Amino acid sequence: MASLALRGVTRSFLRRTRAGRRESFDALGPLDVQIGDGEFVALIGASGCGKSTVLRLLAGLDEPTRGQVQINGLPPHELQAQHSLGIAFQEHALLPWRTVESNLRLPFEIAGLAAPEERIGELVTLAGLEGFEHARPAELSGGMRQRVAIARALALQPKLLLLDEPFGALDAVTRRRMNFELERIWLESRPTTLMVTHSVEEAVLLADRVLVLTERPGRVRMDTAVPFARPRPGALMRTAEFHRLADELTAQLEPA
Amino acid sequence: MKLRGRLLYPAIGCVLMLGGWEVIGRAGLLGRTFPSLTEVLRVYADGPRAALLVRSSTATLGSAATGYAVGLCLGAAVALLAHLVPLLRGGLDRLAVLVNALPVIALGPVLIITAGRESTPAALAAVPVFFLLYTSTGVGLRGASRRLELVLTTLGAGRWQRLTKLEAIAAVPSVLSGMKIAASSAMIGAIVGEWFGAPSGLGVVVLNSMQNFQIPLLWATVIVIAAMTLSGYGLLTLIEQAVRRRIGECDG
Repeated sequence: MASLALRGVTRSFLRRTRAGRRESFDALGPLDVQIGDGEFVALIGASGCGKSTVLRLLAGLDEPTRGQVQINGLPPHELQAQHSLGIAFQEHALLPWRTVESNLRLPFEIAGLAAPEERIGELVTLAGLEGFEHARPAELSGGMRQRVAIARALALQPKLLLLDEPFGALDAVTRRRMNFELERIWLESRPTTLMVTHSVEEAVLLADRVLVLTERPGRVRMDTAVPFARPRPGALMRTAEFHRLADELTAQLEPA
Repeated sequence: MKLRGRLLYPAIGCVLMLGGWEVIGRAGLLGRTFPSLTEVLRVYADGPRAALLVRSSTATLGSAATGYAVGLCLGAAVALLAHLVPLLRGGLDRLAVLVNALPVIALGPVLIITAGRESTPAALAAVPVFFLLYTSTGVGLRGASRRLELVLTTLGAGRWQRLTKLEAIAAVPSVLSGMKIAASSAMIGAIVGEWFGAPSGLGVVVLNSMQNFQIPLLWATVIVIAAMTLSGYGLLTLIEQAVRRRIGECDG
């Protein structure tokens, strides 16, 4: 488990002006965010607000231009080296030539650990894919593939779980079902989690806290706790409270 | 219906073509240099000439295979180096293009002087193979999914693990495509290399039979060359298809 902190984080990129010169522009920040141990935080915001940049900074895939990113007081690349990060992307993130089981073994191989058969079995069960252990990704549905990707992200019991639009490529019905699946999977170990999503409902349904980012440069416009008890039933989505919160967040997504 | 499309129509096509060849050759419609099919086939039944073709095929196949192996290893190794050391890539790319731009006809005499008559066929076979494998290996290694690279990096994979667990495997179909095309190039290179004065080989037979007006032998040799090239290409195509199915591109 981990607590993490972004302090005065900005990320600038270079762009070419009409005159052909390069100029720097801020895509993100300054951003100050603290996330507590075991907290599930959803990050929402308009396209291009830098949500995915935040995730990449935490994954150690990108460096902030200014400011500091720390997970348990350490920079993300340290956690990377300790194999303490789990990540799942929207789609196409399984090795297509490996079976379900073999994909789940990947994090162990990278960490140089033996993959205990029972742990792999547990992960297969967690993903609800008993009987599909030896199937290749191409033989699975989109929802099944995403469950494998999430189970793989959890394989080494990471200190921080990063989810980048994990269900963005799924149809609405599958997506809804996967949301409940994710909560079930998440409750098994409750890792500190940051999920980037476009869907306000998904954020409210899954997160303990929702952060709304402004348009470029992305800053925190709103930081709201989601009070509902877990596990959250499907009926929750039909309550007035749920809709009030979702509407409030949606309103914050409109350009100021 | 399916069987008819796949077997019957091609068979009819072949019979028409070969029959046409026989008729044109017998009637002498295209002159004395166009022999009939039976005349060409008789070469294979003629002991001394058949033995010459076997001997020469072995020599050419040996040169082509040697050049193929050398070009393949060098091309793939240099591509790997360029992939792992980005600093070198620009220079190596230009070097590969330069090697490819040299005309074989111009390179031949140089190789005769430097590598010797015996080695020139293999050397000329290696040159195009090197270029094709350098290109296809590089494209394959760079073609690994960006997203998978990010997943592996986040999980803490180092450079070597990303190479062995992702990039090298993702590159296999492209490498095999390169190997497939390179098989024909190696045969051409070896035969052209033999024209510059190799002691034996199909290229030598082609040249001699042309100069001595042994028309059926010339045709028989060309058919052997075509058959060898096509078998190499066909074999590698089968391997490539099997591997592509095994690796399962894109989806995942």
